[in-house]
Amino acid sequence: MRLRRILYAIVTLIVASSLFVGGLAEWQSYGLLTEDSGTQEGWRYAGYVQRIPLVSVCCVVGAVGVICLGWYQLRLAGAVTSIATLLQDDKAGAIGDRKRFFAPLRMTKIDELYQAISKHFAGCTARIAKYEKQIKDLQVQIQLSQRRGKNTEAIIYSIRDAVIVIDESDRLLMANEMAGRLFNFDFNNSQHKPVSELIGPDQSEFVDFLTRRRQSKGQATRKELEFLEDGTPKTFDCIVSCVYDQGRQVCGAVAVLHDVTREKEISKMKSDFVSHVSHELKTPLASITAYAEMLADGEADDEQTRKEFYSVIQSQAQRLNRLIENILNSSRIESGLIKANKEPASLTMLIEEQLQMIKGYAEEKKVEVIGQKPIVFDQVYVDKDMIQEVIVNLLSNAVKYTPSGGSVKIEIEVDEGASLVRVSVIDTGVGIPEDEIEHVFDKFYRVGANKKQAKGTGLGLNLVKQIVEKVHDGRVFVTSQVGIGSTFGFELPLATRQGSRSVVKIVDSKRIVR
Amino acid sequence: MTGKKVLIVDDEIHIVHVVAIKLRNNGYEVISADNGAEAYELACKEKPDIIVTDFQMPVMTGLELVEKLRQHQETKDIPVIMLTARNFAIPKEQQEELRISDCLSKPFSPKELLGNIEDVLYQKQVMVSN
Repeated sequence: MRLRRILYAIVTLIVASSLFVGGLAEWQSYGLLTEDSGTQEGWRYAGYVQRIPLVSVCCVVGAVGVICLGWYQLRLAGAVTSIATLLQDDKAGAIGDRKRFFAPLRMTKIDELYQAISKHFAGCTARIAKYEKQIKDLQVQIQLSQRRGKNTEAIIYSIRDAVIVIDESDRLLMANEMAGRLFNFDFNNSQHKPVSELIGPDQSEFVDFLTRRRQSKGQATRKELEFLEDGTPKTFDCIVSCVYDQGRQVCGAVAVLHDVTREKEISKMKSDFVSHVSHELKTPLASITAYAEMLADGEADDEQTRKEFYSVIQSQAQRLNRLIENILNSSRIESGLIKANKEPASLTMLIEEQLQMIKGYAEEKKVEVIGQKPIVFDQVYVDKDMIQEVIVNLLSNAVKYTPSGGSVKIEIEVDEGASLVRVSVIDTGVGIPEDEIEHVFDKFYRVGANKKQAKGTGLGLNLVKQIVEKVHDGRVFVTSQVGIGSTFGFELPLATRQGSRSVVKIVDSKRIVR
Repeated sequence: MTGKKVLIVDDEIHIVHVVAIKLRNNGYEVISADNGAEAYELACKEKPDIIVTDFQMPVMTGLELVEKLRQHQETKDIPVIMLTARNFAIPKEQQEELRISDCLSKPFSPKELLGNIEDVLYQKQVMVSN
């Protein structure tokens, strides 16, 4: 390569010189440059004379052209050198020591430059591949980051608790649907607005709590707050935590508001239950101890009084036992530890027995109890004791909440199509407010408006529901109107549907083994 | 303290009965009611020397009864002994505010109740004579 370039340069010079010298020689050979060029002899070759300027001009132009080409080649090589110098720093050092104009003349360097450029391009290709890989990695990371961001948003939006995130200027960064509903704002139109503007003055306690926790830069703090949601007072457990950036600087705060209204209600119900149970247990016990003490102290003067005292002790002991059984049965059914001794029985007969038992109490309260004539076939496959417990609970509740002069009616229907028996206890009592009806079968629940009407533990109806639904695959129902009365009842499958099942059924909270 | 009139208020008829026997055997005159509202009317009418009331009752609780008694001139100075079967005691501040003379937890001893009634009536007598 190098030799070829040297030869090319020499040949260019020789051709250019030959053409130039040839042109001059041609001109001289025709006497144009001699002393007698102007004589007649000199003009004898008129044809040549006419041709002289043309040939000379061509030679000169040719020589100039070749020189220009050579010059251009040198410039081109110079440009390539410059490019190579710029491209490769180590080569630039070697080439930079020489004058750029003469560098191309050193043809060996052109090879080096060619190699340098090739190497550079190879390096460039490798770098491009590396950059492409980095770009792909970054694109993947961006996609992952976007996906993570969307996932985070989706998670926050899916949380049933209200979530609000503010920045270091107390402006809204993020909020989910629950938060929007609770504080009555639309997140899409509220981003970056001051949180104090978005949340009304009636909920300023929350805003103060949120912004103060952010300013304090402390650990997560919780507080119970009351809010109105759709006009209903609700209790929220509010936890505020600071949000930290990568430099561990506080850049905002996040508040999570968990609705604990139901938990509070349950907790209050449990507390009320303990209080009621305590009262219910201690009351008969108080009678027993008082009468026993009176007997021991000889305060009962005559035999008649002593008998009366013994009778009171006996009845109060039975009452205490019943109450304890109720509590235990409820727990046993719930935990699946109770055994039901099922056998075919007539519901009418079971009801009739309980009607006789309740009549004394009803007469005492001046409430009329109306039974129903027997139905031909109302056989059910039940644990008699448990179903009697259900009937007595419904009847005594009906009498308890019916004012004097009212009535309690019991109806039995056989639905042969559905193969079931339906028992309804209809009273003309105080009734239950509509918003409380759905809770009447809940454990420990007592209708607020009727608490003062009569005592109770809130266990009876829950026990009814558990016995009917969990043990006997039946269904309980209730309808009520305040001031008019209530209808409580249950449905049980007719015995024919059940065939000849084994007598003992073990009830499990998750499965029923027959 | 013979001849003093005691109003017993409880929705448990057996408790009323046994306390009444104990007090009558010890010379007291006994009247009774089975809820707060009825007791208030009876207190206004009969002006008992002391009231023994249950805490938890239908219609009107024992506390509501005492609050109502304290608001009226005729009944505001009647000493009250509270019987309670609840699992917590009435706070001391509330007792002082409503001037509840004593609190007894159920189950209680009729003898102990009689002793407390006598103490409260004696204190009342001393205060009146001073």
